[in-house]
Amino acid sequence: ALISKGPPYRKLADSLSACRVLVVGAGGIGCELLKNLVLTGFKNIEVIDLDTIDVSNLNRQFLFQKKHVGKSKAQVAKESVLQFCPTANITAYHDSIMNPEYNVEFFRNFMLVMNALDNRAARNHVNRMCLAADIPLIESGTAGYLGQVTVIKKGLTECYECQPKPTQKTFPGCTIRNTPSEPIHCIVWAKYLFNQLFGEEDADQEVSPDTADPELTWNPADTEARATASDQDGDIKRVSTKDWARSTGYDTVKLFNKLFKDDIQYLLTMDKLWKKRKAPLPLDWLEIQKLACPQEVTGTGLKDQQVLGVAGYSQLFSRSVETLRSMLADKGDGAELVWDKDDPPAMDFVTAAANLRMHIFSMNMKSRFDIKSMAGNIIPAIATTNAVIAGLIVLEALKILSGDVEQCRTIFLNKQPNPRKKLLVPCALDPPSANCYVCASKPEVTVKLNVHKTLVLALQDKILKEKFGMVAPDVQIEDGKGTILISSEEGETEANNSKFLSDFGIRHGSRLQVDDFLQDYTLLVNVIHCEDLEKDVEFEVVGDAPDKAPTPPSAQEDKNVANGNKDSAEPSTSSKGDYQTQSFEVSCFVTAVGAIISRSQPPFGPNR
Amino acid sequence: MIEKEDSIISEEEAAQYDRQIRLWGLDAQKRLRGSRVLLVGLRGLGAEVAKNLILAGVKGLTMLDHELVTEESSRAQFLIPVNNQGQNRAQASLERAQYLNPMVEVKADTDRVETKPDEFFLQFEAVCLTGCSRDLMVRVDQLCFEHNIKVFCGDVFGYHGYMFSDLGQEHNYVEEKPKVVKPKTEESNDGPEAKKTKIDSNETTMIKKTACFCSLKLALEVDWTNEKAKSSLKHTPHFSTTQSIVFSPFVPLFFPTVLLKFRTDKGRDPHPESFEADAMLLRQIRDDVLEAMGLSSDLLPHDFVSYCFSEMAPVCAVVGGVLGQEVVKALSQRDAPHKNFFFFDGMKGSGVVDYFGPK
Repeated sequence: ALISKGPPYRKLADSLSACRVLVVGAGGIGCELLKNLVLTGFKNIEVIDLDTIDVSNLNRQFLFQKKHVGKSKAQVAKESVLQFCPTANITAYHDSIMNPEYNVEFFRNFMLVMNALDNRAARNHVNRMCLAADIPLIESGTAGYLGQVTVIKKGLTECYECQPKPTQKTFPGCTIRNTPSEPIHCIVWAKYLFNQLFGEEDADQEVSPDTADPELTWNPADTEARATASDQDGDIKRVSTKDWARSTGYDTVKLFNKLFKDDIQYLLTMDKLWKKRKAPLPLDWLEIQKLACPQEVTGTGLKDQQVLGVAGYSQLFSRSVETLRSMLADKGDGAELVWDKDDPPAMDFVTAAANLRMHIFSMNMKSRFDIKSMAGNIIPAIATTNAVIAGLIVLEALKILSGDVEQCRTIFLNKQPNPRKKLLVPCALDPPSANCYVCASKPEVTVKLNVHKTLVLALQDKILKEKFGMVAPDVQIEDGKGTILISSEEGETEANNSKFLSDFGIRHGSRLQVDDFLQDYTLLVNVIHCEDLEKDVEFEVVGDAPDKAPTPPSAQEDKNVANGNKDSAEPSTSSKGDYQTQSFEVSCFVTAVGAIISRSQPPFGPNR
Repeated sequence: MIEKEDSIISEEEAAQYDRQIRLWGLDAQKRLRGSRVLLVGLRGLGAEVAKNLILAGVKGLTMLDHELVTEESSRAQFLIPVNNQGQNRAQASLERAQYLNPMVEVKADTDRVETKPDEFFLQFEAVCLTGCSRDLMVRVDQLCFEHNIKVFCGDVFGYHGYMFSDLGQEHNYVEEKPKVVKPKTEESNDGPEAKKTKIDSNETTMIKKTACFCSLKLALEVDWTNEKAKSSLKHTPHFSTTQSIVFSPFVPLFFPTVLLKFRTDKGRDPHPESFEADAMLLRQIRDDVLEAMGLSSDLLPHDFVSYCFSEMAPVCAVVGGVLGQEVVKALSQRDAPHKNFFFFDGMKGSGVVDYFGPK
């Protein structure tokens, strides 16, 4: 096992055998961490992970083998560890840490919690639970060759949310729908299209030309007029894309011509857009078929890394639509598909649709391999980075358990040594931020929004859950009557969801008391009424430094992207259902020695 | 030199190696797939390196160790299942090592490395030595240097660890750099401004580079008393005690030097069971080494010895991770290698790269 066995360490060895620790995540860092913990002498370990094993995990999650694909990560990790350490007492949970079952009492069972996560929502949540339970938390992250470890202790150090993190980049609706200029815009459009045709339709994920594009006119009033006019006009917008597709029987030729010819021709009529931009070139199905020539499979590269021609992607579009249509039919009435990068027809569809759109807008088409990276938020990962970081986690854990928490550090792993020759850079931990909206004693925030246009539902989902990381918020208006606006109990305040904040007397200067009882967290929200937020911006948090949270501030993670294995079941954290992103990040502390590791989650979605 | 096999990557490999191909590219993966590696020593550090290289997808890994599994060593590494006492360590590690990646040819060799003839080493593209005596490392490194075989050495002593690499006189590699893209025009606030169609800003270019390494023999033949060496102090890691701060470029070499001397003298590493006697010998060697380095004996804490017994698992993980990645870089000829030592201090959490050897 081996810790140095000189006299000072006998006491430490004893406390290692006795204490209980929690590992959140059994993936890249988690596997390495479990191994290090048992070899170091930790005896009582609980590990939780909601995910199942995928073949792409096997290059680094070494506790898993091919025969385990599809099984629970936490469960298999435990079994694997018992092979070389049968005396370890490991409890495995195939579950989400955000499940209310894992309340503050649960967390209080442990002397130490170690995160091995890959998404911010869970990190925020565990951060709050550990603050509430006053248990030390070791936080970590890796991406490619880079990694970071840090220690969070209530009252002593910054918590995970003390420093604002860059929010996910989003694109305005008009860029996605009218004037894409980068491949990513086309990829986002293709994912929206998938949802509109086969998945859960979302008003924020429109794919048809946007007649309310502010660029079409200098006069904002004009834009309003157009938007209203087109609503009344009975044009494409009124019939949902899915209904239209269904009415044609998902006819691939009709679909192709509508999306890649008719809609493009419509865009061309909006000539203001094309005065200084290269105009898009519509495609025609029949013309393309004439061009088609058999695709040579060339070279020794990966099949997925080839870039086909327009004809090839048209074929791919057609094939994938047919496959998806029949998958949908098989699921029965009212069924919806959920996009998954590891589901071949879903990935084919996005590859084809995105590429066709890129071609239309004069961008070089990309391989399936590259599109999968972007559409699927794939972050490259290797075993060695995780091995180093997991080693550092245990070393920090030992300091904490010896009572040497002042020896703890944030440690960065760089790709190359810095000018002071350091590859691993330890930095002193920072004290808590006085203004932190999570760990300050009476946290408060101020939010700018339009009280007449913000729905209660939007407040709950986009502001309290997404932006402020709550899982089950309860909201009371400080109006002297204690009016309950939102209750975390299901169904209690459902009737309020479709009403506007102003309907409840909320106006400029109103204060809302927001509680998340699971996280033992109370936040006071000051409301500032504002009528001229930027287009596509629903709210703004005052005090979000612009360089840290890139505009626009209201981030909307792509709700219908369930990356990762299809079998994994994430309990709903929003009323819209599946809400899981696989992208992870290394937190963005800037150190004196110049190692900035910052990874915003890849861009998605419009921001309304 | 490692020839890139111009062959196809199978679907199985593409699926399994997907996340690393996205990081270091297909070319690098192919080169790895054409490389055979020898790993000597299957204690804590060796097991980590074995895992990392097998997962990376080398062609073959030969694990060489003559030692037997003891009750203690069965708790020291994760490849050996329990109840394998008395078995050869490499042999006992074989099954779980192979399970890590069936696409790699994993072998176990139970011979003593000192008895291996020169020709034995020549069948590999890279050789990695852990738990070896200084003399053996020097001999093998010399041999490999002459045959363009990459050599790596590493050890973990308690909270401390190091690795050394010798990639030969001229190691060629590539670095991927982003292509410079014109900045896009900012949108002005009053009315729509045209955006130019952007060129794809994700393009990169490969730049060829060369790095030169020296042999282990030369690296360790440091002249401690050289005035120039003493005064080249600016950004080098140092010991700090409550009394004074010592700057010396050689300080990071201190632990490996003392522990390798111990290993040569006793034929083994310090062992908790003979703590008192070993501690005494360690302090004696410490005194000798510090004197040779021209530093005062009382500059190190008296209990430094406590920190160098056994191999600490998390330290093995860190050193094994860095060492493993250096082997991958060297075999794939991609990205700048660390020249030529890496030192890790598990107490401080600091890891430094430094060069020792002729300029």
